[in-house]
Amino acid sequence: MDIFTIAMWVITLIFLIISFIKNKSETKGAFKKALGMGKGMAKSLIFVILLIGLILAYIPPESIASFVASQNLFVSTVGSALFGTITLIPAFIAFPLVGTLVDASVSMVPAVAFLTTLTMVGIVTFPLEKKTFGMKFTVTRNALSFVFAIVIALFMGVIL
Amino acid sequence: MNIKNKLKKNVFTLVVVLLYAFTFIYKSDIGVLALSNSIYYFKELLSIMPVVLVLTALLDFWVPKRVIQDNLGKDARGKGMFFSFLLGGISAGPIYAAFPITVMLLKKGASIRNVIIILSSWAVIKVPMLVNEVKFLGPEFMIVRWILTVIAIIIFSYIGARIVKKEDIVFENEKFVEEIFDEEIFINCSACMGCSLCTKTYPSLFEMYNKKAYVKQYDIDDIDSTKLNDAIDNCPTKAIKHKEQ
Repeated sequence: MDIFTIAMWVITLIFLIISFIKNKSETKGAFKKALGMGKGMAKSLIFVILLIGLILAYIPPESIASFVASQNLFVSTVGSALFGTITLIPAFIAFPLVGTLVDASVSMVPAVAFLTTLTMVGIVTFPLEKKTFGMKFTVTRNALSFVFAIVIALFMGVIL
Repeated sequence: MNIKNKLKKNVFTLVVVLLYAFTFIYKSDIGVLALSNSIYYFKELLSIMPVVLVLTALLDFWVPKRVIQDNLGKDARGKGMFFSFLLGGISAGPIYAAFPITVMLLKKGASIRNVIIILSSWAVIKVPMLVNEVKFLGPEFMIVRWILTVIAIIIFSYIGARIVKKEDIVFENEKFVEEIFDEEIFINCSACMGCSLCTKTYPSLFEMYNKKAYVKQYDIDDIDSTKLNDAIDNCPTKAIKHKEQ
């Protein structure tokens, strides 16, 4: 666990204790709500995770590096952005990977596009997001994030 | 019909199960790899989701609606955007961990724009990530990317909020929001026209803020059902809803 996750646990536990002292019955109620929310999300999340695991097994993140190196700038940028949308990769794998992408490619544009869509756009989390916010919100947010991921990448290429 | 509905609801689950079945039949080594990949994500899920859910429920109970509306609502403008970036930026966990907390904030009066800012910054510019980024890609890369991403989020959250209205979300998943948060008494903000009749009928339960009525913090055992029913009946737009147990 990184320090921020630990901090969140500590803050929440303190908050929970204070809340419990102040209002016992409502805190219990809040706890029940949390449990209910967890149940509501649990099934979707488990299958989302299994799908991510499967995708990463078929397309190992390393294969994206060789793809980027062998294509022209346009194809590799859109390609790596698309690859980034499919899955979620933890930061500690993503950054070294993006590092190798920057080295492998003539430009850093594909690497940045990949990094942004990787975390911000999610095909696998789409069903869950749709369930939470509805279709219109989910499509709009993901589409905008995808377009702007490429815009950010292009600007990065110009500046650096 | 019933089976068809069930199938439709579980199509995602079914697809994943089938994919795994095929993988294990034809390429069992990849199946094993897939499962071991998944374990990392399960650990991540367990390290963050319980705390996010408890925090969401606690904030839902203790933070009054108008505080959220004031600081993350449409009229909060710059201040609201600042808090949204801050909230997303100091968080932990993947983007799906942000869903419960943002939908709670949305329900309590945060604007669509700020919800998009929280989700996006939660995903891509949070501080734990930046530390890693400096390590592998250098400080210059990190700073330029950070600034560009913040600008991009400011722009596309504006566009997003122009396209999606709050009613779209409420309309599409009111059932889900109610199920999850299980509010006994709630006011449909888009229907309320601010006549303040309910606050006159039952002043200790309802209050006016920014020309809209809100439900105050209450203990369900102290509710005076006669007064509450009066308020519900008096409301000209029928915006007050009471879910009886």
